[in-house]
Amino acid sequence: LLAAVTAASELGVRVAFFAQTQIQSLPECLQRCSATQNPEGLKKITFSYPRTLEELLQQVASLHEFPCPPSLIIIDRLDGFLRGAVASRHAGFHSGDESRAAHLAALLCDTAAFLTEILEKRGSSSAPCRTIASFLSDADSGQESRDPSATDPILDVLDRYFQARCTLDQDRSYEAAAAAAQEAWHVYLSGTKIPDDLEDGPTLAQEWKLFIFPEGLMEFKCFSYSVLSETANTDLRFPLTVTSD
Amino acid sequence: MRTFLPAVAEQLFRDIQKIYEETTQIPDDLLIALKFVFGTCALQALDLVDQRSVTCLSSPSGRKAFQVIGGSGRLYTCFLSCHYCPCPAFTYTVLRRNQGLLCKHILAVYLCQAMAVTQQESISDQQMSAVL
Repeated sequence: LLAAVTAASELGVRVAFFAQTQIQSLPECLQRCSATQNPEGLKKITFSYPRTLEELLQQVASLHEFPCPPSLIIIDRLDGFLRGAVASRHAGFHSGDESRAAHLAALLCDTAAFLTEILEKRGSSSAPCRTIASFLSDADSGQESRDPSATDPILDVLDRYFQARCTLDQDRSYEAAAAAAQEAWHVYLSGTKIPDDLEDGPTLAQEWKLFIFPEGLMEFKCFSYSVLSETANTDLRFPLTVTSD
Repeated sequence: MRTFLPAVAEQLFRDIQKIYEETTQIPDDLLIALKFVFGTCALQALDLVDQRSVTCLSSPSGRKAFQVIGGSGRLYTCFLSCHYCPCPAFTYTVLRRNQGLLCKHILAVYLCQAMAVTQQESISDQQMSAVL
């Protein structure tokens, strides 16, 4: 949701946001964010609430019919759509889920590629079209006992289609308490390909610490990832003002 | 189709395209290379090509997709820009076992494109949404 709000308000990018659960109001940290002070920018976000995987597939497949295509497609809790597609309601994922996950991921990939072509033909500065999906694996949702060495087969399938993965691991050490935060998370990027616009600059951050405070404030602490430059730490605190290039 | 293929496979399709343009045939050395790279699905894919089983669907918005008639007569929809097929072989061999690059349907698409024998069909934008 933060990505959608930031992209729409600060970067002027049209966003298609898909979720199963209707968003009643913005989280507190976003309400105070300068990005949400621009209601015109927020109008660039189209919220859709498909109830099932089939509805989601149909809505994503129809994006090519829109006269003003989005430049950013966001799927919130992709796992919910996939889990709900299981005919018998057992916990977790079962055979056939790999194919459903691959279908959705491939459709997102193909749709983004097509919309990129359209945006580029129109000379839009919003090209390329990108996709972001959030996913809570069974291991992290507590539905299975956590085995650190086990990989989620659905995530393995999604990794075939998504270029990068941003993982959030909750830090249960005393670091949160030391920072007077409610929660601390370790956030890091991985994947087979770093997106083109992130290849420039020797001080690219690929690892962060996220602190969430009781009043709803979020703070990101970045760690640089480069062997060519000195280590640089940059603190980002929400609400914040995001500037585009 | 934007490629997710290793360089050897890409070169193989370029070679097939070039030689087929000149001779309307695929020589034995390229057929052997095809089988070496793609395994048993190579011959099955060539059967699909012979039967002209691959159609490129396009709609007024410019969106395109491939539809392949499988051996059983069932229709499989494949995407332009990445590998996906709803057939059991893709799910089992490619996704679950990671033992193959692609299924015979996707390979048939590549071969038809290289040999310029893909059928063409226009459909409405709504029909395209339903197909995808």
